[in-house]
Amino acid sequence: MIGTATSNRRWRRAFLIAGAILAAYALLAPLTSLEAAQSANVPLLADKLWFRIATIIAMFIVLATAWNIIGGITGYAAFGNVAFFGIGAYTTGMLIAKAKWPFLLALPLAPIVAAAFAALVGLPLLRLRGHYFAVASLGVGVAVGELVQNIDYGGQPVFGGASGLFLPILRIDNRGLFFFYLMSAAAVFSIAVTWWVLRSQFGYGLIAIRENEEAASVLGVNTTAYKVAAFALAAALTGLAGGIFSQWNVFINQDNVFPIEYNVQMILMALLGGTGTVFGPAAGAVLLQLLIQFLGGTLPISFDIPFVSADARPIVAQVILGLLLVGVVIFVPRGVIDFFGGRTRLSMSYLRRSLRETSL
Amino acid sequence: MSTAAAPAQLEVRGVTKRFGGVAAVDGVNFEIEKGDIVGIIGPNGAGKTTLLNCISGVYHLDGGDIKLNGASIAGMAPHRVARLGIGRTFQIVKPFGSMTARENVGIGALFGSAHARRGVKQAFALADEVLALVGLKAKADQPVSALTIPDRKRLEVARAVATRPQLLLLDEVMAGLNNVEIDEALEMVRSVHATGVTVLLIEHVMRVIVGVCRRAIVLDSGQVLAQGEPEVVLRDERVIQAYLGERYAKRLKSS
Repeated sequence: MIGTATSNRRWRRAFLIAGAILAAYALLAPLTSLEAAQSANVPLLADKLWFRIATIIAMFIVLATAWNIIGGITGYAAFGNVAFFGIGAYTTGMLIAKAKWPFLLALPLAPIVAAAFAALVGLPLLRLRGHYFAVASLGVGVAVGELVQNIDYGGQPVFGGASGLFLPILRIDNRGLFFFYLMSAAAVFSIAVTWWVLRSQFGYGLIAIRENEEAASVLGVNTTAYKVAAFALAAALTGLAGGIFSQWNVFINQDNVFPIEYNVQMILMALLGGTGTVFGPAAGAVLLQLLIQFLGGTLPISFDIPFVSADARPIVAQVILGLLLVGVVIFVPRGVIDFFGGRTRLSMSYLRRSLRETSL
Repeated sequence: MSTAAAPAQLEVRGVTKRFGGVAAVDGVNFEIEKGDIVGIIGPNGAGKTTLLNCISGVYHLDGGDIKLNGASIAGMAPHRVARLGIGRTFQIVKPFGSMTARENVGIGALFGSAHARRGVKQAFALADEVLALVGLKAKADQPVSALTIPDRKRLEVARAVATRPQLLLLDEVMAGLNNVEIDEALEMVRSVHATGVTVLLIEHVMRVIVGVCRRAIVLDSGQVLAQGEPEVVLRDERVIQAYLGERYAKRLKSS
C-alpha cells in the first residue's frame, strides 16, 4: 500500500487538483452572503438543507477517517466507534449544560475523555483478534449508550436520561457557517493526522501489526502500546466530532449520538473509499453520505422508485444501499480511491481479478 | 572462585516449556559465546522451534532462566528482547504482505535494536544495505507476492538482520530449498556472520550444520542429547538413534 510505485502520476495530480477545487468551492461558497448566493442560484451550500448536509458530510469524513486509523491502517475492525462519538458529545454537552463551561473550553475535553476511555477498554479488547475484537467492540459501543441513558444518581438521571440533554444555543452570528467550518476543520485535521501517521515510524509499526502482528513484535514493535495508541487516536478524533455535534445540534440523546448504524456507515465509507489510504475514507464519506441522503429523498434532486409506495421507500433505500455495498466489497475491495489515484482503470478485467481475490 | 571472565553472550539455564502435560522443552542448558555460529538439530518435535520461541520472548518460560550478556531476559515481551539485540526469523515465513521487499526490511531497521534506532529515511537506507548483503537488491521494489520461496526466506533473514542484532536466531531458513539454493543461502549466512553477528540456527540439512557451524546442539524430546563439534556430534550413537531409530542405528553399527 505504502510507497508502491505509482504508475500514472498525471492522473493522480489531476485527481488532487479536482479534489482541491471542489473542497475550496465547498468551503468558500458559504462565505458569499447566503441571500446573494441564493439569488444568483449558486447551488451548493446556499440552501439551509445543503448546508446541514455538508456539515454532516464533514462529520462523517472525521468518523470514517478516524476509523481508518484503527480499522484500516492497524487492521483491527472496530465496530463500536460510535461509543467515542457519544462520549465526546456527552462530555462537551455535560460541561456546557451542567457545569456552564463555554463551548470552546468544553470542546477539547471531548477528544481527551474519549481517548482515555478508548485506552482503558482497548487494553483488554485489543488482545482479541479478528471477529472476536469486532464483536467485543460492538458490545462496548452498545453498552456505553445504554449506560449513559440509564445511569441514575439519587433518583435523578445523571446524563439527562431518556429525555436527553439540552444545551444552551451558542449566541453567535452565522451559527450554521461557524459549525460548518468547525466540522470541516476537524475533517481536514483528521486527514492531516492520517497523512502524518502514514509517514511516521508510528504508522509503519501499525501497518506491520496489520500485516503480521507476531513478526512485528519480534522486530521490536511494541504491539500493545501501538494498538492502544491507534485506538485512542481514532477515539480522540471521533470524540472531537461528537463534541462539535453536541453544540451544533443543541440536543443530544442516546438515539442521535449512539446510533448503531453509524458504526456500520463509517466502516462502509472507509471500505468504499479505500482503507489504509489518506483520502479514501473521506472520498467514501462524501459518496456514501450523498447516496444515503439521495435515497432517503432529502436531496432537492430526487426521484421516484418504480412500484414502491412512499411508505416503503426508506426500506427499499436500505436494500439498494445494501446491495450496492455488497457489490463494492466484492468488486472494488481496494476502494474507489484506486481509480481516482490513477493506479488502476475500471475495466472488466479489474472486476474479474477483484472477484477472484475476494472469493478466496 | 570465578575469574572476572565476561559471561557468555547467551546463557540458557534449565529452560522448560510445557504445553498441557507435555514438556516440549525440558531443562535445557547451553551457552553461546559472542561471535560463535551454533546449530541446533534434532528430529521433528524435539523442541527446537519452541526453544527459539522461548529465547525470543514469544513464549513465557515455565522454568529456568535465559541471560543475554549476564542479564536475565526471561519473561520479557518479544519487542523488548528484540530491542536488546536478539533478531529472529520464522520457519514459516511471515512477511508483511502488502509491502515491498524494501519496506519489509525497512520495518526491521526502523524498530529493532534500541541502540541502533533511526529515522524513517536512514532506516530505508539501511534496508538497502541489508538487501544488498542478502542478494535481494535487484528485487527491492517488488511486492512480497512477486518473490519466490527462496527469496522470501532471504527476506525473512534480511528483516531480522536489519534490526542490527548481536544474536541472530534462524529457524530452518534452508528448509524446502534445492541444493543450489542451499549453497547460496549458506553464503548469505556466512556473510551475515562475517559482519560480527552471533548466529544460532535450527537446521535439518546436515550439510548446513557441518558446513557452517562450529558447534552443534542436538535436542531430542525437549532435552539436550549431545553437544560439541558437528562432525563428532553427528557420529554419536545416541544422535543416530534419535534420528534414524534404534534398529537402523544397530544395523549401521554392525555393518
